[in-house]
Amino acid sequence: MTDPVRIQQEDFSQDAEIAALKASSKRMGGIATFLGCARDFSEGRDVSQISFEAYGSMALAEMRKLREEAISKFDLLDARIVHRVTTVQAGDNIVFIAAGAAHRAAAFDACRWMIDELKQRVPIWKKEVTPEGESWVTQHP
Amino acid sequence: MIKVLFFGPVADRVQTREMDIDYTDGMTLHDVTHKVGMLHPGALSVVSFIAVNQQQVHDKQTPLRDGDEIAFMAKFSGG
Repeated sequence: MTDPVRIQQEDFSQDAEIAALKASSKRMGGIATFLGCARDFSEGRDVSQISFEAYGSMALAEMRKLREEAISKFDLLDARIVHRVTTVQAGDNIVFIAAGAAHRAAAFDACRWMIDELKQRVPIWKKEVTPEGESWVTQHP
Repeated sequence: MIKVLFFGPVADRVQTREMDIDYTDGMTLHDVTHKVGMLHPGALSVVSFIAVNQQQVHDKQTPLRDGDEIAFMAKFSGG
């Protein structure tokens, strides 16, 4: 069983993550997931690649705290957060979040909350590579 | 020794990812910030968060201990 919170270079399998989530409890009636992937267009420019950088130890600790807070706040049965830190091409997977609860409302709310909080709290940065050059992304859309 | 880390846009401006600063008794976060600012004028203008030993710190008067790790970070953009 893989760790429910991970930072990794390699791609992840949504099926494997969901299977691991489901294996944690038979009382799970709703699972909500968020998949973040790389766009080929941003701020009016073509984007060929996105490279990620993280303050690894702090990012992982913050993601673990985030998962624990989500489980407690939304009464989840389990949750998983996986973020890639590498250079990705348009269409590639970046981040996966899954929230499992007894009912769908808590799963939806928790999933949304986790990705929103991740963007605010987890020290990861993305740099977009465009025909005009490279630039760090600083906004939180 | 205080280990100072830079990430993302901050690292680009400082042109390094890591630097060591000699620890002196009574040193505060402000002392380190001031020193880095003197070495790299303007480089910290994009800093939105500072962490001491992986914990965000808001008080520049936070006392430091020998061996502490300080990170200067721009606004996050993961996800």
